[in-house]
Amino acid sequence: MPLLDDQTLATLLHEAGDSFALPPSGAADTLLRVRRGDTERTEPEQEEASLAPLAAPVRPHAIRKTIRAHRLLSVAAVVVMLLAIAAGAVSLRNTTPPKFGAVSPRLHTPSSVGSGANSPTKGFRTQSPQSAPNASDKTSASPALSSNGSTSGSDATAPPPLPAGAVGQQPFIQQTGSLDLTVAKGALSTTLGKLTSLAATYGGFVANSQTQSSSPGNGPGGTVTLQVPVANFSAVLKAAEALGKVSGLTTKATDVTAQYVDLQSRITALEDSRQQYLTIMTKASSIGDVLAVQAQLDSLQSQIEQLQGQLNVLGSETAYSTLVAQVNEAVIVHHHPAPVTPSGVSKAWHDSVHGFVDGAEGLIRAAGPVLFALLCLAALFLGGRTSWRRLQRHSL
Amino acid sequence: MVEQRLEDWLEDGYAVSFRTACLILGNPADAEEAVQEAFLRAWRFRDSLTSVPSIKPWLYRVVVNACYSKLRQEIPHRDRRAGDSNLDELSASDADPAASAQQSDVAETVLAALQRLPASLRVPIVLRYYADLSERDIALAIGRRPGTVKSRLHEARRRLAGDPDMLTLAEDGITDNPVEA
Repeated sequence: MPLLDDQTLATLLHEAGDSFALPPSGAADTLLRVRRGDTERTEPEQEEASLAPLAAPVRPHAIRKTIRAHRLLSVAAVVVMLLAIAAGAVSLRNTTPPKFGAVSPRLHTPSSVGSGANSPTKGFRTQSPQSAPNASDKTSASPALSSNGSTSGSDATAPPPLPAGAVGQQPFIQQTGSLDLTVAKGALSTTLGKLTSLAATYGGFVANSQTQSSSPGNGPGGTVTLQVPVANFSAVLKAAEALGKVSGLTTKATDVTAQYVDLQSRITALEDSRQQYLTIMTKASSIGDVLAVQAQLDSLQSQIEQLQGQLNVLGSETAYSTLVAQVNEAVIVHHHPAPVTPSGVSKAWHDSVHGFVDGAEGLIRAAGPVLFALLCLAALFLGGRTSWRRLQRHSL
Repeated sequence: MVEQRLEDWLEDGYAVSFRTACLILGNPADAEEAVQEAFLRAWRFRDSLTSVPSIKPWLYRVVVNACYSKLRQEIPHRDRRAGDSNLDELSASDADPAASAQQSDVAETVLAALQRLPASLRVPIVLRYYADLSERDIALAIGRRPGTVKSRLHEARRRLAGDPDMLTLAEDGITDNPVEA
């Protein structure tokens, strides 16, 4: 079949194309629309047009097509979710319960107790087998500690599973403890130093330390707040108990998994919103649109950073346990001898002495007025005698 | 700078772009909307023009994409009245009635033959023989490889040559007039 030559085709197409009359103000209208859209885009429909420049005009068939596409996406999403749930169930079923002394994979921490190699960035929630036997009987019941304590028993007592968390994921536990120690006199500074080195030994640090001098009834004392990795909490607690006489011990564990997951979800949602705004930002053409989207982005970024900060704090609190150790020196009490009950003779003797002393005191007390009276009488006598002698002399 | 280039292109190349869209879409109203939409798109994404070596195929690509959007989303669902409306828009020249009528006949025949081609063939042949784009620029404009463009041009020419109306036009010597570049 012969082909039309290029010259003929070009001529025919030019004939056809040139037969179309140009719109009288096509280019001018377009320019006007561009300039107006760039500077006066204030009406809602104009803003909508600017934010969705590539959007096709809404037609019924387009809507139906979109609905069909969304239905397909929804079905695909449901299928994926079902597959994920099934995979999760299978993996949970295949997970063998941890045996005595064994470390659950999700609880395993690469750093061993005492290595001092733990860092805040390593697993938030870790429990090591070394810490399991150290759970004291005095510790208050908490899910995590209870599981640790039970591992120090026998195989017959299988360790109860850790709390599954709010959404069935790795639990995040805040663990705190308070220990009151009494040490011998003069051993306060030594004990505080040992506590400090204990924190360093187990990969932790001293968050706070203070000492106070002795007060009436109380010896000198000090308080040390230790931050140690969760995996080493029990070991540190046991080592601290060995430094003195334990007069009080309290431990507490709080499950913050729900709070943690909630923060993560909110951050994820905000990041999705931010991504959508960034997409909108690329389509914004006017300064007003850009500023409006930028304001939303700033607000979202602020919220994300705030929630991220809370998440970091929560992660740090669940990665490190807090142990507050109160150390006091023992107070030496001086006992005074009890008064001896006197016998009858000695009591009479004491009464006699007291009577003599009392009599002497009475005399001394009475001598004063008598002496004053005598002095007054002597003065009257002398004055009367002088007056008498003068009268006799005048009469002679 | 880029804005000025775009405005220059709009002023200088609007006629060619509009008529190219007319030949692709077969409807001046759709073509006007497509060109306007294409220019708005180009304006919004003008920042990417700085990384484009040649602006012409890029702009034609935007026009072609706008035409494809029209073809995909609107035109198939519209009562197109078998091209009657297109004829009303044809031949607005000021030539004498006889010449005008003859030109309308040619345009009607060519436009009908083009519309019988699928869009994948119609677009390359319009860009090649009306917009005078090279095969490489057509490849850039439609986002295909040059080899694909060649094969599509060949297939389009073959189909047009097989169109009796087009052959009649060619045999009637309509192409005696020189083509203005």
